[in-house]
Amino acid sequence: MIDEKTCDAILQVRDSARNKKINAFFTMHQEKSHLLRIGNNSVSLNTSTDLTRLNVEVIDGHRKGSYSVMTDISTPAVVENALQAAVEKASVATPREYKPLEPIVEKNIKQMDQYDPSLEEIDPVTKVETYREIIDENGENYNYSGSWSSGSTEIFLACTANKNIAWRKGTDQQFSCVLKDPGHKWELANFQTGWQSGEVTANNATGDFKYILPVFREPGIKVEPGEYTVVFGSQALADILGLLMWTGLNGKSYEEKMGWTTGKLIGDQILSEKVTIVDDPSNMDTFGFSFDMKGLTRGFFPFVEEGRMVSLFYDIDTAGKYKRKPTPHNDSASLVMNPGDGPENPLEAVRNMGRVLFIPALHYVHIPNPSKGLFTGSSRFSALLLENGEMKAPIFSSRITDTFQNVFGKVELISSVGASVNSSSTYDRRMPQATSVPSYMISSEVRVTDSADSF
Amino acid sequence: MGIEELDKLVSQGISRVMDKGAGYCDARFYSEDGSETIALIDGNLEENSASFESGLGVRVLHGGSWGFAATSRADDVKETFDRALANAKTASLLVNIPLNMDRMSGIKGQYSSPVEIDPFEVPLKEKLAFLKELDSNLHADFIQRRIAYIYLQRMKNWFWNSEGSFIERNLLNCFAKARIMAQDLDGQMQVRSKALQTPGSGTRGWEMVTNSGLWSARTETIKEELAQLLKAPEIEYGKRSIVLLPGQGFLQVHETIGHPLELDRILGYELSFAGGSFVTLDSIGKLRYGSDKLNANAYGSIENSPGSFGYDDEGTPERDYPLIDKGILVNCLTSRAMISEANQTAGIKVFDQSGGASRSSAFYKAPIDRMTNVNILPGKDGSLMDIIAQTEDGILLDNPRSWSIGSNREHFHFGCEIAWEISSGKLTRVLKNPTYQGHTLDFYANLGAVGDDSTWVVKQVPNCGKGEPNQIMEIGHGIPVMRFDDVITGERR
Repeated sequence: MIDEKTCDAILQVRDSARNKKINAFFTMHQEKSHLLRIGNNSVSLNTSTDLTRLNVEVIDGHRKGSYSVMTDISTPAVVENALQAAVEKASVATPREYKPLEPIVEKNIKQMDQYDPSLEEIDPVTKVETYREIIDENGENYNYSGSWSSGSTEIFLACTANKNIAWRKGTDQQFSCVLKDPGHKWELANFQTGWQSGEVTANNATGDFKYILPVFREPGIKVEPGEYTVVFGSQALADILGLLMWTGLNGKSYEEKMGWTTGKLIGDQILSEKVTIVDDPSNMDTFGFSFDMKGLTRGFFPFVEEGRMVSLFYDIDTAGKYKRKPTPHNDSASLVMNPGDGPENPLEAVRNMGRVLFIPALHYVHIPNPSKGLFTGSSRFSALLLENGEMKAPIFSSRITDTFQNVFGKVELISSVGASVNSSSTYDRRMPQATSVPSYMISSEVRVTDSADSF
Repeated sequence: MGIEELDKLVSQGISRVMDKGAGYCDARFYSEDGSETIALIDGNLEENSASFESGLGVRVLHGGSWGFAATSRADDVKETFDRALANAKTASLLVNIPLNMDRMSGIKGQYSSPVEIDPFEVPLKEKLAFLKELDSNLHADFIQRRIAYIYLQRMKNWFWNSEGSFIERNLLNCFAKARIMAQDLDGQMQVRSKALQTPGSGTRGWEMVTNSGLWSARTETIKEELAQLLKAPEIEYGKRSIVLLPGQGFLQVHETIGHPLELDRILGYELSFAGGSFVTLDSIGKLRYGSDKLNANAYGSIENSPGSFGYDDEGTPERDYPLIDKGILVNCLTSRAMISEANQTAGIKVFDQSGGASRSSAFYKAPIDRMTNVNILPGKDGSLMDIIAQTEDGILLDNPRSWSIGSNREHFHFGCEIAWEISSGKLTRVLKNPTYQGHTLDFYANLGAVGDDSTWVVKQVPNCGKGEPNQIMEIGHGIPVMRFDDVITGERR
């Protein structure tokens, strides 16, 4: 449970604000993070940080202001100062044309079902030894890099609208290892995720590398621009799926006619009938939150059912502006794309498909035209040419520029096995997020628009 | 805690870890890392927030590896040094090439961004009034969405290292942007925007944001251009010349010269995340990066730019030096430990001194190699109109809408807000949904024209992302108008 002094400080100020009829929402975020980074077969950086942030949001009629602080917040005076800064901002703010919805902690919640104290306190030597084992197993002729981030995140929400509190403490980890051939410049990668110690292993990485290394003895192939059947691996799939959701199923994008679902109605077929996408916090391949960051209670929530658009997600501000109901997905969604009925091994899946491309991951995916659903990104990490179910040769860095509707519309086969892809943003605070996707999806007539002469 | 007490505690901490065998140690204390964001969206104040961070970050080099620790607790100074040392000791269990910092003399220094009016001292009411006026300038019947945005940063920090350096810095950045959108005849959302740029000289406080006359002209321009975009035909796929205005050129340079020349990327430290670089250590002094017209530099001392910061986060004073000279690669963006490793790896002295590019975005993040001000030097091909007049078949492009770059920066794809067709030396019509793609070295080899001083503009970048954990950094680019020939534009149908 949250440090008692900090909890008391927040609740004392919350109660005082309640008495003064101030409409405030408090978010405390505490992270204990450890990161070990590898470069050139050495540990290049070993860091540990222990940080606490408090954000206070105040709504005063049609006015809103917020203030966040990162410091020791275990005294009421510090919390009160943050509250007053937010009050001041709200009081000076120009009123909105609409009344912003007030975030309310819907239920008293205490959640700790994905917390492992041994991961929180993992000895960094364990991480060093894991990388050493990978290097020893695969040989020092390669260049290894990567990182292993682990830690705990504690979220505590309170508001002046009621006396509820929502609290979650969880652990998470994100592991990557890239094996690069310094001569030929190709790169293989292994990614692992989870919330418990012991889930990341050297064997997992070594197994992946040893499986795929033989085909990389073949010279690389330059893929000519054109249309191809493509096997998207889980990393690539999760990347595209995230952007598909953001530009197509996001209520803000929809209301403001920004995205590729503009003009579509709930119930319309927007993707292949093989595609079902939901938010499911009970899916253990994701980091499940019982509440979102605005205090709403979370549960199963469908977005796309057998290709039909069934609902959109609305953040609280957009919901207020367009008079919709906010949905509980703020910073805490457990996005799940349901598995299909394809065999576990993608090579078996493409046995009768002739020449196809295997794209395990995409680099730097961006959206040149959200209205058209057009995205672009280039292949990365062990992209291959497959022929009748055999790995034939590695391919040079190749660019795919296509639409979400095409790639998720012309679906040939979806793996029956799910994979967890850690999609945590590391831009700001530690906030665990993972997407559960099929281990592969095969789409036809995918547009490759460019390719390099190198990996 | 006052600076004197802190200075004592930090000095003790540095002495202690050095006595325990560390090869180098530095510490950064931020007494304030503050920001303020205000955004009017369709006239509604949708963002009205401020933040304050304060704390200490300690970096220790021991046994050839870095350990880092950070705290936001004032009573945790001693423990933070101990944790950083312990982290370094653990890291040193796996070392291939031991990192080291070539010895430097300690530096005492102070740097403050040139500011006339500190925006954090300007009452919120006044800032809102400015945004309101900016927003009212964006109004027009056909416009469906208006965004007027200000982002302000103020950092006050002190730096100490085991070489005796003590540096005080007060950094301030102001970013602002106006953006409008409307649906075109095909129902697609079109966008035009203008960001605040700096004059390169002078001061960079609130007075820069509110520069009289600056916004009114720009808002009128983007409204007119958006109106044209709504009726414009789509760009067709094909090979032609492209002329990049600085509004697009800065990102082209940022992604395909700036990032590939970061030495930590070249050495492979970013492979699992941001990616590597097609540049190798052998490339320095030999690689033809572009045509003779390509001259780039890292210029830390542009008076007014977010890429000017006095000293980097390991105490190296800002430097001005060439990166590409008449098309030949001559240097990279470097920090002390990275040049030491590069020279060891190459077996020769590829780099003789740090480029002062070691930067951290917060007290709780360890410094990594970043851009400062990566500029393209003005050329001799005249004004924008001169370059257009010299262009037979091309498009003029402004402002990025999308950017996707290969993991080793060897190829790229950009989308822009607007294009103007150039035919027989004249601008003919507006084209919508412009995109272009290319391979970095081929692209710069086809640099056919570089505008003169009159076309050179310092663009601000508030959001360059790199590193694990990710760090968002503020930088600048001085960019002239540039023309590239034989470029693939548009999308194949």
